[in-house]
Amino acid sequence: MKLRNKEKDVIALLNKAQRENKHNYITEDKLKLTAQEAGLSYSEVYGVATFYSLFSLKPRGEYVIQVCDSGPCHLMGSKSIFKVLEKELKIKVGETTADGRFTLEEVSCLGICNEAPAMMINEKVCGNLTPQKIREILRELRKKK
Amino acid sequence: MNTVNLTINGKLVQAEKGSTIMEVALANGIKIPHLCYEKGLSIAGSCRLCMVKIKGRPGMEAACTTEVVEKMKVITSDEEIDEARKLIVELILSEHKHDCLVCESNGQCELQDLAYELGIEKIRFPVSKSIEPTEDSSQVILKDPNKCILCGRCVRACAEITVQRVLDFAARGSGTFLISGLDQPLVDTDCVSCGACIQTCPTGALTEKLARFQGRSWEFRKVQTICPYCGVGCQIELNIKNDKIVKVYGVEEGPDNKGHLCVKGRFGFDYVHHKDRLTTPLIKHNGKFEEASWDGALNLVATKFKELKDKYGSDALAGLSSAKCTNEENYLFQKFIRICFGTNNVDHCARLCHASTVAGLSRAFGSGAMTNSIWEFEKADVILVTGSNTTETHPVIGNYFKHLAAYNGTKLIVVDPRAIELTEYAEIWLRQKSGTDVAWINGLMNVIINEGLYNKEFVENRTENFDEFRKVVSKYTPGKVEKITGIPEEKLIAAARMYGKADRGSIVFAMGITQHTTGTDNVLSLANLAMLCGNVGREGTGVNPLRGQNNVQGACDLGALPDVYPGYQKVSKAQVRENFETTWGVKLPPKEGLTVVEIIDAASKGEIKGLYIMGENPMLSDPNLNHVREGLENLDFLVVQDIFLTETAELADVVLPGVSFAEKEGTFTNTCRRIQLLHKAIPPIGKSREDWKIIMEISKRMGYPMAYHSPGEIMDEIASLTPIYGGVHFDRLGGQGLQWPCPSREHPGTPYLHKDKFTRGKGLFTPVDYIPPAELPDEEYPFLLSTGRVLYHFHTGSLSRRSKPLDGIAPEGFLEISPQDAKKLRIKNNDWVRVSSRRGKLKVKVKITHHVDKGVVFMTFHFAESAANLLTSDALDPVAKIPEYKVSAVKIERI
Amino acid sequence: MIKELKSPLRVVLENYGRINPESIEEYIAQDGYEAVGKVLREMRPEQVLSEIKASGLQGRGGAAFPTGLKWEFTAKAKDAPKYIICNADEGEPGTFKDRAILEGDPHKIIEGMIIAGYAVGAHYGYIYIRGEYLLSINRFNKALKQAREHRFLGEDVFGSGFNFQIEIHQGAGSYVCGEETALMESLEGKRGNPRFKPPFPPSSGLWGKPTLINNVETLANIAPIILKGSDWFRTFGTKKCPGTKVYAISGHVKEAGLIEAPMGITLREIIIDYAQGMRDSKFKMAQVGGTAGAILGEDMLDVPLDYASLGEKGLVLGSGAILVMDETTCALDMLECFLNFFKRESCGKCIPCRVGTEKLLELATAISRGEGKEDDIDLMLHTAKVMQKTSLCALGQSLILPISTTLKYSREEVTEHIKGRCPTGVCKI
Repeated sequence: MKLRNKEKDVIALLNKAQRENKHNYITEDKLKLTAQEAGLSYSEVYGVATFYSLFSLKPRGEYVIQVCDSGPCHLMGSKSIFKVLEKELKIKVGETTADGRFTLEEVSCLGICNEAPAMMINEKVCGNLTPQKIREILRELRKKK
Repeated sequence: MNTVNLTINGKLVQAEKGSTIMEVALANGIKIPHLCYEKGLSIAGSCRLCMVKIKGRPGMEAACTTEVVEKMKVITSDEEIDEARKLIVELILSEHKHDCLVCESNGQCELQDLAYELGIEKIRFPVSKSIEPTEDSSQVILKDPNKCILCGRCVRACAEITVQRVLDFAARGSGTFLISGLDQPLVDTDCVSCGACIQTCPTGALTEKLARFQGRSWEFRKVQTICPYCGVGCQIELNIKNDKIVKVYGVEEGPDNKGHLCVKGRFGFDYVHHKDRLTTPLIKHNGKFEEASWDGALNLVATKFKELKDKYGSDALAGLSSAKCTNEENYLFQKFIRICFGTNNVDHCARLCHASTVAGLSRAFGSGAMTNSIWEFEKADVILVTGSNTTETHPVIGNYFKHLAAYNGTKLIVVDPRAIELTEYAEIWLRQKSGTDVAWINGLMNVIINEGLYNKEFVENRTENFDEFRKVVSKYTPGKVEKITGIPEEKLIAAARMYGKADRGSIVFAMGITQHTTGTDNVLSLANLAMLCGNVGREGTGVNPLRGQNNVQGACDLGALPDVYPGYQKVSKAQVRENFETTWGVKLPPKEGLTVVEIIDAASKGEIKGLYIMGENPMLSDPNLNHVREGLENLDFLVVQDIFLTETAELADVVLPGVSFAEKEGTFTNTCRRIQLLHKAIPPIGKSREDWKIIMEISKRMGYPMAYHSPGEIMDEIASLTPIYGGVHFDRLGGQGLQWPCPSREHPGTPYLHKDKFTRGKGLFTPVDYIPPAELPDEEYPFLLSTGRVLYHFHTGSLSRRSKPLDGIAPEGFLEISPQDAKKLRIKNNDWVRVSSRRGKLKVKVKITHHVDKGVVFMTFHFAESAANLLTSDALDPVAKIPEYKVSAVKIERI
Repeated sequence: MIKELKSPLRVVLENYGRINPESIEEYIAQDGYEAVGKVLREMRPEQVLSEIKASGLQGRGGAAFPTGLKWEFTAKAKDAPKYIICNADEGEPGTFKDRAILEGDPHKIIEGMIIAGYAVGAHYGYIYIRGEYLLSINRFNKALKQAREHRFLGEDVFGSGFNFQIEIHQGAGSYVCGEETALMESLEGKRGNPRFKPPFPPSSGLWGKPTLINNVETLANIAPIILKGSDWFRTFGTKKCPGTKVYAISGHVKEAGLIEAPMGITLREIIIDYAQGMRDSKFKMAQVGGTAGAILGEDMLDVPLDYASLGEKGLVLGSGAILVMDETTCALDMLECFLNFFKRESCGKCIPCRVGTEKLLELATAISRGEGKEDDIDLMLHTAKVMQKTSLCALGQSLILPISTTLKYSREEVTEHIKGRCPTGVCKI
C-alpha cells in the first residue's frame, strides 16, 4: 500500500536500524526495508535519513566520538579538544580510523553546557574535557575488545 | 461565492475568499517575482521572492502563502522589497556557476529573467566554483545539478501529479541537493519518464535530453494540438524548429490533462520524422514493392476495386477505418465505403476493444460512451476501477487516481486479476479469476440489495425490469461468488459496502471487462451496479469506459461501424437511411455489414475479395494472427494506407502514404466525448498526403466526386447529419472543445449524460448469469494467458516502437509469470521460453513477478517479434463480436 | 545530575534533586497528580483555561506567547482529533533546563500534558525529545509506564471518563526541529522543514489537526498553577512576566549550572550572587537567549532578564541561556562559531537561510583570516537584515541579533582583523 500510513515511524525505524548495525550506520537494504515498512518512497526515506545528523549512511567506527562545537563548548576550548583527538586518532573530523574503531564528528549542542567542553561517545556524554581526560578515555576504550 | 475586495499597488481588485495574494495578483495580470510557486502544485513558500508588504502589518509576507482579506492593501514592490529580492537572487547565483551560454533553458529561464529584471550585474558574495557532473542515465531526462536552485517544484510535481515520489531533497542546509531514489541514477529508480519535472523546472536543471542543442526557445514555432496516443485527449504544445518537432509541453488549459502528460505524450513524437516514414505510394510487382506516382497508384486502386465490385458484387469488398485518424476522415471513409463500395462492410479496431461497451451501455442506458467527464473523478467518494491498468494505459488518468487516493481522500476499489500499480493505492483490492466478472459484480449487488444499501428511489423512478434482475442476483451469495471468482467473502462484502454507501460512486473499466466472450454481459452488469446505487446522471458518478485510441470514440461516433451511420443511427432503419441517401444523393445498402473478425473470416473463405485498410494493423492487433495472415493473403486486392510499412502493409498490393497527426487538421473525440481541434504543425513528409484527401481522390476515381476544401467543411456536413454532433463546428472548438451530445449551435455540450432521464428513457436492468470463458486451461495447455499493454508502447507499436526513447526504455516483449510457476518450470528471469496455444506459438523472454497469480501468465501485444496475438483466441462475444483476448489457454516450455 | 546553583525560588524545579525521578510514589508524596485529580474532579475545561489565562504564564520555549491564549485557540478549534505536543527538542546551545526537568521530574510534564489535554479536548499527546537526550527518554519512558500503571494515563482517568495517552517521539539530531512546525513535520516522519504560518498549530498542526504545542518548562508550571492558583503564581516575577524562569549559565563563570529565579533578575545578580563571579578574567560580554540571542555588554548588566524588559530593547530572553564571556574572548571568533552553527542547522528549505547562512559564514571566516574587506561587514549586516525580513522561520530571521549586537560592541575589534590583527590573539591570521 503506497498510501502513507506508517510514515510517522520512519525515524524510529531508522534509529533501530542504525543501533543494530555494528558499524553505526544504516545500510541500503535497511533504507529499502524502512521505505516499505513506513509506506514511503526511496527518495523520501533517503531524504529523511540524510536530514538528521544522528544518522549515517556510511559505515562508522565502533565508537563514534561527537564533539560539540556550539557556543559554550567553543568558548571553553572545543578546538583544542578536536586537536587532541585528531592527533591521538590520526584522523580528521568526519573520518574513521583505519582499524574501524573510532569515528570523529563535529556536532551541535549536547545539552551539558555547564560542563563544556563536552562530547558524546556512542550514547555516553562526557563533559569538562581536558586533553588529559581525553587521553584517559581513549586509553580505556582501546583496552576494551 | 464569497468575495473580498482589496487593493494591490493601489489597484482595486476582487477575489474569491481563501485565495492567496499570489493567485489574485496573477489573475489580475500583476507580476510578483517567484520561483517556487507554480499553479497546480502545493505551496512551498520557500523561495521568498514573492515577499510583499501589507499595510498595517509589520515586515513583509510571502504572497504565495498569505490569504487575501477584505480591505487588504498590498504593495508588491518598493525599494526595500526590491533590495531584498535582489539579494536573494544574488544568493542563488552565488551557489553555482550559472552558465547561460549553452543552457537549454536560455530564453525561457525564470532565474535568468529575474536576474535581468532586477538588474543584477555583480554578485557581492563569494561564488562557489565546484561543478557537479550532469546525470544522463534516463532516456529522456537530463539532470544538471549545477543549475538546480532547489525550488522543489519537480519534487512536488513528481509526488503530486505523477505520484511517483522519485525525487526528493537529501541532506540539509547549504548541503541540500536533489536526489532520485536512494541517490541513484534516474534509470535505476521508479521514474516513469513522464517529464512533469522538466515541464515545471524554472531553470535548466531538468531538460529534455534528446532536445539538447536542437533549438532554443525563441527559435521554436509553437503549435497547440492533441496527443495522438491514447484516448485521454491531452492537449499538447509542439515546439517546432525547421519543421521538426523538438519538444512537447502539456497545455495547462487542456481540460482533461491540465498540463500533464505521460512519457508517450511528451517524448514519443520522433516517429513523425522517422526514416521509415512512407513518402511515396508503393505498388507490388512480383512480390516486391516499387515506388509509384500518386496518379498511378490511385488509378490502380480505383480500377481494381471497381473490377472486383463488378465481378463479385459490393459485399465482396470491405474497409477498415482507423481510430487514429480524425473524425472527418472516419466520416469520409465510411461514406466512401457505403457509397463507392456499396456495402456496410466497414469497421475498425473499436470492435476489438469496446464493442461490448457500446453494445452493453446502449442497451442499458441508450448511449454507449463514458457517462461522465475525467475532471469529475475528484468529486467521487469511491472509484471502482476494474479491468483497467490505468496507470499504464491511460497514464494521465491513472496518475490522477493515485493523486486522488493520496491527497483527496477518494477511496479506490480495484478489481483486477493482476497486481497492477493501482492496487497499491486501493483501499480494497479484489483479485478475481480472469473471466469471472459477472459473478463478482452480481455478488456485490447481492450484498448491496440484502443490506438495503441500494437507492430505492432511483430504482423505482428511473429504471425498469428491477424485479427480474433481482431474481438472478439473489442467487449470487458471497459464498457462491467466492467459489467462482476466488474473491474472499468478507472482502467482497467490504467492497459492496464501500461502493454501496458512497454518495458518489464512479465505475471505471477498460479491456479487462470488454475483451471477453461475455464482454457485453460484463458491461451490462456494471451498468446494473451503477443504476442500483443511483450512480448515474450526477457529477462524479457513472459508468466510465476508458477508450484506448486517441480517436476511437470519434471513429465510432462517425459511423465507421457496420450497423450504424454517424451518430449511432441504425443502418437498418429506413427513415434514417433515406435521410443519408437524400443528403449524399445515392442509394445505400440496407443490410448491416461485417465486423473486423468476420471480415477476416470472410476473406479466408474467399467471400471478401478486396479490402481497403486505413491506419490499422490487424497483423498484430487481431486475435489468432495465423488466421489473419491466411485471410489477408487470400484477398485478390489489398490496399493499405498508413504512415509506415506495417506488418499488414507488407501484405498489401498497393500502399498509400498517409500523414501523421502533426501534418493535418481535423478533430479527435476523446474518451469523455470531448471533440477537440487538431492543428497542422508541419507539412506532409515527402509525397505523403492527408488521409482525407486520399479518400477523396479514390472516391472521385470511383465515380463519386467529393469536393471538400477543408476538414471544417466536412464537420459542417457531419453536424447536419449527426444529431449528437449537431452543434459542432470548427469555430466553436477553440480551448475546451465540446462534449457531445451537442445538438445545436447554442448548446454548450454535455459533461455528463443521463441527467434527469436516460437517453433511452428509463434505465434498463438486465438479468445476467455467469458464463465461464470459452477456453480455459486444461492438461495440455495449463496456463491462462491474459494480454495487455505497457506504459511505454502503444497498440501494435507502429508508432511507439519507432520512437527512440520509448523503444529504448522498453525494447522487447516479455511473459509475466508468477514465482511459483517459474520455480516449477525451472526458469529464471530473462530466460527464453516457448509459449504455444491451439492456434500458434512464439518465443519470448520471461519476467518473474508477483503481478500475476499462479497459473496465470501475461503478455503485451506490442511486439512483432513475440506477437501475443499468435496465441489468442478468436472466440467472440455473441452480441458485440469482440474477441476474448483476456483469456486463452497456453503451455510454456523452457528452451 | 545537572548542577543546580542555589535557586532563590523553586516552582518548576521544586522536586529537582529532592525526589527520585524514577519513583512515582515519591512524586505522589509531593502532591503529585493532585492537580490532575483536581482538574478532572472539580473543574470544567473552561475553568482550567481561565485559570491558566489568569496566571499570565508565557511560553518558556522562548517566544513568550501567552499560554492561556494558545490553549484557548486550540480549545475553540472545530476540527478533531486534537493533539497535545510537549516540545522537548531542546537544541539551543547553552540551554539545558528542559533536560533537567525531564531527568529530574518527568511526572510533572505528564501532569501538565494531561491537564492541557483536558482543557483543550485532546486525548492524545506526543512528547518530542531530542535524540541526544537518552537519559531523558529513558526516564520519561519509565514515568509513562508508571503513570499508566497508576491509571493517570489511559481510559477513564480518575473515574472522570476522560481518556489520555502519551507517546514519546525521539528526534534524530536537528536544531530546527525545535521550531514547532518543523517538529510536527518531523513527528509525521518527514524532513524537519518548518511550515509557513499561518495556519498556526491551534487550528492546523499535527496532520493538519488542531494542536497545542508547549515547551517542557511551560508545562512544568501547569500543575503548580492549578494547585496553588493564578494569584499565587502572579506573586513572583514582574507584572508583565509573572512567575519564575529557569536560567542556564555557562561560560567563564566560577560556577556554571541552572538557577530558577523570579522573572526580572539581572545579569549582574546571576553572575555575582549565584555563579560566584567571573572565573579568571574580567567580564566582556554575555550572550542571552542562546545562539540566536543578543550579545549584551557591560551596560546591560542591570537590565531585568524577562521577556518584556529585553523585548523593549529589541533583545530576547529566549530559552534563558546565558553564556558569559570574559576579556580573553574574541568577538569575531565567537560570531564565526555562531554562524557555523546556523549553517550546520539550517534546514535548507528557504533560499535566504539556506544560502545566507553559508555566505555569512564564508564572509566571517574570510575576515577572521585577515582576508576580509571593510564592505564585507556591511554586506553581512545587510544580508542578515534581508534574512530577518524574508526567511521562512525563526532560524533565518533571528541571526541578525547576534551579528548586529556583536558589531554594536565589537565593530572595531572585527575591523582590526581586516587590518591583519586579532586583538585577543585567538584568530590565526
